[in-house]
Amino acid sequence: MRKLFCYLKPYQGKIVLATLLMAISAVCDLLLPTLMANVLDKGVYGAAETDTFPYILKTAGLMLGTSLVSLASVAGGYWVVYHVVAGYTWSLRSALFRKVHTMTLSEVGRIGASNLVTRFSHDVGTLTWIISSLCGSILIIPLMFLGGVFLCMRKDVTLSLVILCAVPLLIGAGMLMSKKIEHLWDVSDDYCDKQNDLVRERLRGVRVIRAFNREQNAHERVTDSTKVMAENLIRANVRMEIIDPAAAFVLNTAALLIVYLGGVRMERGSGLTAGDVFAIIQYINIILGAIIAISYDIVMLPHIRVAIKRLGQITESTGLEAPRPAEGRHFTGAIDLDGVSFTYPGSALPALTGVDLHIQAGEWVSVIGGTGSGKTTLAELLLAFRQPTEGNLRFGVGAAIGRPSEADGSDMQDAAALSPKDIRNNISCALQKSMLYAGTVAENLRMAKPDATDEELWAALELAQVADFIREQPEGLEFKLEPAATNVSGGQKQRLAIARAILKDAPIYIFDDSFSALDFITEARVRKALNEKLAGRTRIVITQRVVSAMHCDRIFVLADGALVGVGTHAELLKSCSIYREIYLSQIGGEIA
Amino acid sequence: MSSPELNYEPEQTEAGKEPKGKRRLLDETGKRLLREIKPLWAWILLCALFCLLLIGCAVAEPELLGKQIDKLYDWTKNKTPGLAAGLLPGLGLLLGVYALEGLMTYGKYYYLQNVVSRYFCAGLRIRISEKLRRLPVSFVDKTPAGDVIDRMMDDVGNMADSIYIIVDILLSGFLQMTVIAVILFLTDWRMAIPVVLLSPLSILLSTKMATLGEKHWDKHWDLGGKLTALAEESFTNYPTTKAFCGEETMQEKYDALSKRHQHSRILGNFLSSIVQPVIATLNALAYIVVTIVGGWLILNRGVAVGTVVTIILFARRLSSPLERMAFGLGYIQQIKGAAKRVFAMLDLPEEEDPAGVVEGETKGHVVFEHVDFSYDPNKPLIRDLCMEVKPGQKVAIVGPTGAGKTTIVNLLMRFYDIQRGRVLIDGRDASELSREENRRLFAMVLQETWLFKGTVAENVGYGSPGASREEIQRVCDQAYCDHFIRRLPQGYDTVISEDSTAVSSGQKQLLTIARAMLANRPILILDEATSNVDTRTELLIQKAMDKLMGGRTCFVIAHRLSTIVDADLILVLRDGSIVEQGTHRSLLDQKGFYAELFQSQYAI
Repeated sequence: MRKLFCYLKPYQGKIVLATLLMAISAVCDLLLPTLMANVLDKGVYGAAETDTFPYILKTAGLMLGTSLVSLASVAGGYWVVYHVVAGYTWSLRSALFRKVHTMTLSEVGRIGASNLVTRFSHDVGTLTWIISSLCGSILIIPLMFLGGVFLCMRKDVTLSLVILCAVPLLIGAGMLMSKKIEHLWDVSDDYCDKQNDLVRERLRGVRVIRAFNREQNAHERVTDSTKVMAENLIRANVRMEIIDPAAAFVLNTAALLIVYLGGVRMERGSGLTAGDVFAIIQYINIILGAIIAISYDIVMLPHIRVAIKRLGQITESTGLEAPRPAEGRHFTGAIDLDGVSFTYPGSALPALTGVDLHIQAGEWVSVIGGTGSGKTTLAELLLAFRQPTEGNLRFGVGAAIGRPSEADGSDMQDAAALSPKDIRNNISCALQKSMLYAGTVAENLRMAKPDATDEELWAALELAQVADFIREQPEGLEFKLEPAATNVSGGQKQRLAIARAILKDAPIYIFDDSFSALDFITEARVRKALNEKLAGRTRIVITQRVVSAMHCDRIFVLADGALVGVGTHAELLKSCSIYREIYLSQIGGEIA
Repeated sequence: MSSPELNYEPEQTEAGKEPKGKRRLLDETGKRLLREIKPLWAWILLCALFCLLLIGCAVAEPELLGKQIDKLYDWTKNKTPGLAAGLLPGLGLLLGVYALEGLMTYGKYYYLQNVVSRYFCAGLRIRISEKLRRLPVSFVDKTPAGDVIDRMMDDVGNMADSIYIIVDILLSGFLQMTVIAVILFLTDWRMAIPVVLLSPLSILLSTKMATLGEKHWDKHWDLGGKLTALAEESFTNYPTTKAFCGEETMQEKYDALSKRHQHSRILGNFLSSIVQPVIATLNALAYIVVTIVGGWLILNRGVAVGTVVTIILFARRLSSPLERMAFGLGYIQQIKGAAKRVFAMLDLPEEEDPAGVVEGETKGHVVFEHVDFSYDPNKPLIRDLCMEVKPGQKVAIVGPTGAGKTTIVNLLMRFYDIQRGRVLIDGRDASELSREENRRLFAMVLQETWLFKGTVAENVGYGSPGASREEIQRVCDQAYCDHFIRRLPQGYDTVISEDSTAVSSGQKQLLTIARAMLANRPILILDEATSNVDTRTELLIQKAMDKLMGGRTCFVIAHRLSTIVDADLILVLRDGSIVEQGTHRSLLDQKGFYAELFQSQYAI
């Protein structure tokens, strides 16, 4: 909680200034009714008897001055407040963003990308809201309230007690309501989610729905849920809406009581004047305003509590990567896995069990297996996204800059002892989902090598067989990709990801299912280009296509997380039944 | 799938053509909004009645309260006894008025803000849902789901506020102002003038500020959308960012955009917040003028003190409708933005649908005659496509990515309309049939499995409403689903969905095959999709598909050549036209593109 609000610290001065300005305006607002009462009491009522016009003019001038000062200071106050709010929101988001990027992959996966997005937009928005509502006014509301009560008291203590009785009544009722509403809000949020899911599902399945002529049914499902949602919202709001009229009624009744008691007390000769009663009624409005302002905040409390909790899960997260800085180490390209097992957190079965895998520097290997065989887990281990639960993963490491080299200039070092940044700097990869960023092609590629020249970019595109497509675009390298690269096909996406991987100069290259959307001819060309360009580098091709694997130096066959075969294509066809099965199902018997 | 180059931009339809100049209250969107709420007139009338009663209360209260306070002042002068007792009837009456006001306020909230606007909302959502039925598939392909959902949920939700704004705020605010103005004039026109003159001034000023603020808000919302998109991208691309050590780059990008986003709100926020104090100040000004004029009138023209006090109290009463109208006018501008987006969606052109029906039994003779088609007029895709498929034949469509294989499915199913030529089914032009009739001829198994959130049985029976549990179980057995369905926690009644992890992707595929089997249509389309499946399940899928095909005309979109060597006809598609056709053997012998494609499987 403290972490979330510490970003207000740099704005302390401004917050004080805003509060001061707001306070000036509040004092002015408190003064106005007194002036109004005076002008009425002494000026207007007195006008029938004596010439009070100069007094009226004087007071009017005072009132004008007061309201102008009030306006100026409230405007200044808001101006400062919104600068503070903007600055705060910005720093909070920035810090949260940074925090997320230090988390481990499992932690991000645990919270979920879409969940993180809602936290960044919705929950931060809630905090922003409460801060802009409180900043500047946090002292003003009590000031208005206490000021109003004080001024009432000064006029007449007994009458003021009436107000003081009504106030706790209202606040208590408001708190009680907000508790009830909390649940109703949850319910309506739930229905909103359901509705979203239904529409999303319908849009995604438009082809199947239409193919089976079930549009009517899809429409009815949406209609039904819409109706249920409307009815539930109505039920929820019925209670909420009592607050406003009820509060107004209670305070208005208090005002009536004051007029009556005022009359009683005047008769008794307590020195109370009609102008005093009039002023007290004006003050009630100010107190009412303060209560309403508070009650909005009270109603928001459950939301704020939820937002703080959800953002706290990010700021307090302990699922962080080792913060070791890069040490500029160079890998040779050799990789050893000894008895590596990995179990996903919360999963009963291991994704990888006792995998022994030795890759020499410069080797071209393939890891083949179906879904759930553990291929992608292997890539995640190599990239230090996850750590093996058992066994050792070691990289061949050359001499560190500024360190004496080992006898042969390299040794095998445990991945856990290396900085994750170093590991990733030494590996270039095209990942399974070929993730591209909204932005130009050049920006996307330069992610791998920030200082790459246009020529280098074109060369990489050429190798990935996607240069022609980019050349066709009038913008060329500046061709803009939409978010999630929706404006290029799956095959083009993969080839752009491959180009990005090639662009980076690294001793190890990983292609995780990067050819699945390519047709065989294109894939063959890409394969050829890669072999020429990346000869001498360690290349790991993770795939489920035999075609992608069969030409590699060595093939590792994974099934259900275990290594079931190692060898060349020809060897495996003879020795490994699972490999043979995969081969037959994909290529067919006749050419074998 | 859709042409990737096209991007659906709804703002470019009519909604985008907003004139740059003045934003008027009753422009096209404003008028349309009024028309939309017309059917609710009975409710609105009821609410207007509530509002009128509320105005009555609002007018009566200062009058009554003023009288009671007058009594206090009178007592100060005359000291007539029985002051407190004399106050009671008036205060009692006031209590009644307050109670009525409270009840009416609640009634107004209840009906107007709650019941009427929620039903208005639901009605609009249902209309959008209805609209979705008649929009072409191309719309769905080109429009992000989030955009549609945004319009359907958020924008419609905002529009619902419009009823409340128009009736409660603008209408009743205006009425209240008019009533107060009339009373002021009747009480004393000389004092009324300054008060009444200041009202339009403050409305003008505050709407001006709201409009000014609106521009900043628009920019802020726009940047907010971009910021969310960037966050979403960062979190989904998380592994890639990390793999390329691009955390800093992303951070810089995010911070820069976030800064602009926050900066854009300052002025908007400021202008919105300042409206109320400005009106309060103008109101104080009116009060001051009334006091001066009133004092002068008492002194020089002998006007009664009570009259002046009443006017002063009414002048104060003006501030509330003024503030509300200013708020309403500003808000309605925001709502019009939402309404515009909703109307743009409701006005989208729908697909035409002829009424032809299929006569007799369909044999499955399919002919493409000189068919042209493209997603983007600038990029012709299918050109002069001709082919003939005889009843019961298995046709494989092969070719590199982007050659137009999936497009053939889109055209057969009339998801998209051909632009030239004809498609004949059993000799009849398919475009004469209604889309529904046309689709009734086909069963489809697509690469992208789609299951809706519902039980396994409901999903399998999706294409054949009314199928019995026995029939469903029978096809599931044939499609090799029965064994794994029985192992699910609730068997056939287990609820599954697209993202469900209870069934694997291969099992989902088997379920879609069972679904197609049960539908029992004369022609089949199989987008052969086994890439995400382990070998054993793949064999099952293959066997299930073979069963499904038996005797029917089939179109198989082949991704792997091994599965189609036995096809009756192989169409080799390249850049939208058929470059070769024949059987596997004859095509290999041709040593053309197909042979090259086939050999490339083994190339280094």
